[in-house]
Amino acid sequence: MAKVAVITDSNSGITQQMGKEMGVSVVPMPFMIGGETYYEDVTMSREEFFQRMGSGEKIVTSQPSPGEVMKIWDRALEKNDQVVYIPMSSGLSGSCQSALMFADDYDGRVQVVNNQRISVTMRASVLDALALAEKGFDAVRIKEILEKEKFESSIYIMLDTLEYLKRGGRITPAAAAIGTLLRLKPVLQIQGEKLDAYSKARTVNQGKTTMLTAMKKDINERFGGTDTETCHLYAVHASCPDTFAPWREEVRAAFPGFRVYDDVLSLSICTHIGPGALAIACSKKLEIPEL
Amino acid sequence: MSVNAIDAKLLTQMFLCGAKELEDHKEHINELNVFPVPDGDTGTNMSLTILSAAREVNDLGDASMKDINKAMSSGSLRGARGNSGVILSQLIRGFGKVARNQDTLTAPVIAEAFERARDTAYKAVMKPMEGTILTVAREAAEKCREVVDGGEEDLDVIFRAVLEAAEAALNSTPELLPVLKQAGVVDSGGAGLLCVLKGAYAGFGGKVVDFAALTEEKKEEPEGPAVEEPQYLYKEKFTIYLKNASGKAGSRIEKELTEYINSVGTGLVCMLGSDRISVSLGTNDPALVLQKALLYGDLAKITIDNVVFDSRDDGEESAAPQEEAPAEEEPAPEEPRKPVGFITVAVGDGIAEIFTGLGVDYIISGGQTMNPSTDDILKAVDKVNADTIFVMPNNKNIVMAANQAASLCEDKKLVVIPTKTIPQGITAVINYTPDLDADANKENMMEEIGRVKTAEITYAVRDTEINDIQIHEGDFMGIADKGIVSAGPDREATIMETMRKIVDEETEIISVYYGADVTAEEAEALADQIREEFESCDVEVQKGGQPIYYYILSAE
Repeated sequence: MAKVAVITDSNSGITQQMGKEMGVSVVPMPFMIGGETYYEDVTMSREEFFQRMGSGEKIVTSQPSPGEVMKIWDRALEKNDQVVYIPMSSGLSGSCQSALMFADDYDGRVQVVNNQRISVTMRASVLDALALAEKGFDAVRIKEILEKEKFESSIYIMLDTLEYLKRGGRITPAAAAIGTLLRLKPVLQIQGEKLDAYSKARTVNQGKTTMLTAMKKDINERFGGTDTETCHLYAVHASCPDTFAPWREEVRAAFPGFRVYDDVLSLSICTHIGPGALAIACSKKLEIPEL
Repeated sequence: MSVNAIDAKLLTQMFLCGAKELEDHKEHINELNVFPVPDGDTGTNMSLTILSAAREVNDLGDASMKDINKAMSSGSLRGARGNSGVILSQLIRGFGKVARNQDTLTAPVIAEAFERARDTAYKAVMKPMEGTILTVAREAAEKCREVVDGGEEDLDVIFRAVLEAAEAALNSTPELLPVLKQAGVVDSGGAGLLCVLKGAYAGFGGKVVDFAALTEEKKEEPEGPAVEEPQYLYKEKFTIYLKNASGKAGSRIEKELTEYINSVGTGLVCMLGSDRISVSLGTNDPALVLQKALLYGDLAKITIDNVVFDSRDDGEESAAPQEEAPAEEEPAPEEPRKPVGFITVAVGDGIAEIFTGLGVDYIISGGQTMNPSTDDILKAVDKVNADTIFVMPNNKNIVMAANQAASLCEDKKLVVIPTKTIPQGITAVINYTPDLDADANKENMMEEIGRVKTAEITYAVRDTEINDIQIHEGDFMGIADKGIVSAGPDREATIMETMRKIVDEETEIISVYYGADVTAEEAEALADQIREEFESCDVEVQKGGQPIYYYILSAE
């Protein structure tokens, strides 16, 4: 049985510390702030990130350098036969595409999973990969299984302000909600590939209702309906614990019987949506197939 | 000599006389406005409705009973404006359903036609109310039935009895509807219907109305509130050499381009032979029209003048930028229909801009002071190239016309969201979700507009008392969803009192849309006052630019 290591990047929301506990190497995402490069959770903490964001500094995300990524792969391959690498969605960053390219030099020993996930749903994939590796699946099979399930996740995010979306300028479809004079609370969605406009709301409560309704619809139509065991449900925020507390309760009340995990959105997403965003996320639980 | 039957010619004359009588009295009917607001329009709406039918009847010339009734029905349905207009059109339609099957109308036929008219009108109204035009129609139909069942065949006797009953019904409306009694008026829609009946009776008695003179007047009616001619910075001229030069394509392009130009400026599009179109316009963004025009062919003789700067440097040669258009290979596209479009009714440049920014495709100019007709809405529908079109009337007097348009429209699906105010319309559009189907969207939108409370601030045109509020001519008034809630000589105090009525613990956001007669500074000062009193709410100030209403305010 091949020994398979699972590697991801910090967009999964898995911190260096959590990674150590789980047995997963985490490639830190670089941020450029004021001409300097910082690494998520290595040279820059979550707190510091939001502090600098709040003070109006422009934050640019970039993909990890090939050298950095390959160094981590190489290190893992010293003790393992194969690597499964789960980077952030190829719809949001070029890092997946680059990784696929570098992996060519590894004769199949590194399998890059292009499963369009980000943040909480990406972390669910990492956990699935670990479970599969434990069961004895090799890297190629793990990639296959995860990619088959790639669209089985859904995230809705309500923005507190359009400011960060405007600053980033990169998420054009979502920006469709911007052509207005009104102060709106846009609700965005991530269905695998991209951060996309879903709807708009005038008030926080309208936006919350929109997210809950959309998620109920997804669960009913895509994730197994009333069976509370078929998916993972998450109440999520960027960096606003005060507004998050009631939101978490509202999510629980809307989905009785479901276990709801609390989580935060990864910094790469927060760059575009700002600290005041609330979200709800869901990913279908993986049914581990027969070996 | 007694007359026992009406033939097609006499019916035409009676209908025309009825229309004329209503037209002559429309101002009087306008003044029977319950609210002392300078926007009474029931008379105008009913008159426009019936004149639209009169015009169709006129166009027929000598025709059969069937054709005349069809024309009366379709003309009034399409021309229907405002609630009273829609009800009038339904009365005419109901009458026609019975009358169209006869060669002449005898007493029993007329009794049945009146009853059908009444039933059709009651059905058209979701919650029929007594003390309105419906009461007048009902009492008239009942009296007719009573007299006819009593064996009377002489139509003159029958009509006089019907008129008497209708008049009595109208005079009873203040007893049935307290709001009328308080305002000291009879129901305006009922008064309009009585006019039609009286006019018809005069026509029955031999009065003749000149078709042409009557429909001529219709043409002079304004199509909507006068919109100020915008001033544009650039004068632009060019010629398009069409790629697909056929007469048919040419006139289509001419039409499309005219619409486009009117959306970004104002101008003229003119065919020069079958393969060239000359265009001249005023606009603030000359590039937009050039880009659009490139889709149709190659451009030549392009001149763009800046009307301000170019006229200043008189001595120099006016350097109009010349552009040689690159030849483009793309064929003129027959734009595919998009799945969803939006139409709304609004007046005020600021409000129009807000709706446009939210993705509304077409804004019908109108509102409380000028209700667009069913036909105006259908014309707007023609201009929106979408399979499903959401229509937000933003006024309770336009909802029925919109519903009527939805039932008449054949090639597109119209979904009417019965918004009664501008803020409701804005909320409805905001809550549209592209991922959901039309029914689910309608459900969401309906739910959300139910949470929007609106207040409008205007002034009183006469002394009156409503909801136990004493109102004096010239007073400022706050009108909320259920009527006038405050009035007084101080505008800001009246507004604050109004806001106290519509804001509650659940209110999260208060929007202030200031009208054409209010400055941005005044609006900001008011917003500060509102923020101070309702500190838990977000307060947002937007330029509305609407006439008559100093402010439109919403709490949601």
